[in-house]
Amino acid sequence: MGDTQGAVFDDIEIGQDIPKVVKGPMTTAHIVRWSAAMENWHRIHYDWKYATEHDGLPDIMVNGSWKQHVMIQLLADWAGDTGWAWKVAFQFRGMNVPGDTLTAWGRVTGKERRGRFGVVDLEIGMLDQKGQEGTPGTARVVLPLRGGPPVPYPFDPAVLDAG
Amino acid sequence: MSETIPDYITPEVKAVIGAEAPPVTARHAVESSEVRRFHQALIDNAPRFWNPESSRRYGGPVAPMGFPVHVFRRTEEEPDPLAMMDQPDYDGVDRALRPGLPPVLVPLKRLMNGGYEYELFRHARPGERIVLKSRYADIYQRNGRTGPIVFVVIDDSYETGTGEKLLRSTNTIILR
Repeated sequence: MGDTQGAVFDDIEIGQDIPKVVKGPMTTAHIVRWSAAMENWHRIHYDWKYATEHDGLPDIMVNGSWKQHVMIQLLADWAGDTGWAWKVAFQFRGMNVPGDTLTAWGRVTGKERRGRFGVVDLEIGMLDQKGQEGTPGTARVVLPLRGGPPVPYPFDPAVLDAG
Repeated sequence: MSETIPDYITPEVKAVIGAEAPPVTARHAVESSEVRRFHQALIDNAPRFWNPESSRRYGGPVAPMGFPVHVFRRTEEEPDPLAMMDQPDYDGVDRALRPGLPPVLVPLKRLMNGGYEYELFRHARPGERIVLKSRYADIYQRNGRTGPIVFVVIDDSYETGTGEKLLRSTNTIILR
C-alpha cells in the first residue's frame, strides 16, 4: 500500500461533485466513543435527561467537534496523498441526533492554476437522511497538474506563487 | 410591554478583546494510541494514520489534521469536571475557553460551537509536543428572537515545539 493518488486539477470541472463521505446511522455509542476520546463532558452528548429536560433539545447531540473532522476527511480523501486540503470553513447550524445518517458533500465552484499547481474552490456541507443541511461551508484544495509533481508537504502557500 | 435587552458587552468584556494567551505547550506528547482512538472514533481508517508504508509522504504515521485542537487536556493541577456533576444545572463544560485566555464574563448559561475556519499546513506526529497560541479576535452580541446571543471569536495557531506550523483556526463560540 503506497501513497494514494488524489484528484488531478486538469480533470476538475466547475459544478462537479466530489465523492461523498457517509457516516451512520449514528448511535449513542458513536457519540459516547467520540466524547470519551476527546474527554468532552458536555452533558448534551450523553445525558438524555439533561439534554431534553434541562436544555430542551430533542435528544442527545452528535458532537460538532466530530462533524468538523468529517468535513476535513471529505477533502483529505479527495486530495489523497498528492494534493492538499488547504482551507475549510463551516458553520454548525443544524442539530444531529442518534439515528441520523450524515453525508458530507462537496461541489466545485471555481478553479485556478497557480504556478505548478491548481487551486480548487468548493461549496461543502453535511446532509442528514432527510436532506437537511446542517454544516454549510466552503473549502479550498490544492491539486497537482496532470503529469506534474505532487503538492509539496508540509504545505506552504508560497508554492502557489512560485513559477 | 417593552423589555430592556441587557448589553453583555460590558467594559470588562470589551477589555479582553484582543487579549493573547502566552504560548501553551501540551502537557503530553502526541501518542500513537491516542491517535488511534481519535481516527477510530471518527470512523476514518485512512492508512496515513497507522500504516508506515502508506505514510511516506508524511515521514511516518500521522494524526488526523484536526487532532491538535483536542490535545490540551486537563492537567493534574486542574479540578475534576466530573466532581460537579451532582449539580443539576452544571453542563460539564469548562468555561475557560482556551488555556491562558481570561474568562469572558457573560451570565449566559448555554454554550455552543458555532463553527470553524481552518488553514491547514502539516499533520502532527506521535512524539511531538504541540504549542497553542490563542487570542480573542472579537466578542459581540446579537439580539435574536430567543434573546441575546454573544459570539466569542478566537484565533488559534498550533505549532510543533520546534515552531513548524500545523494549522490555524478561527473558532466562533456562541453563548446564549
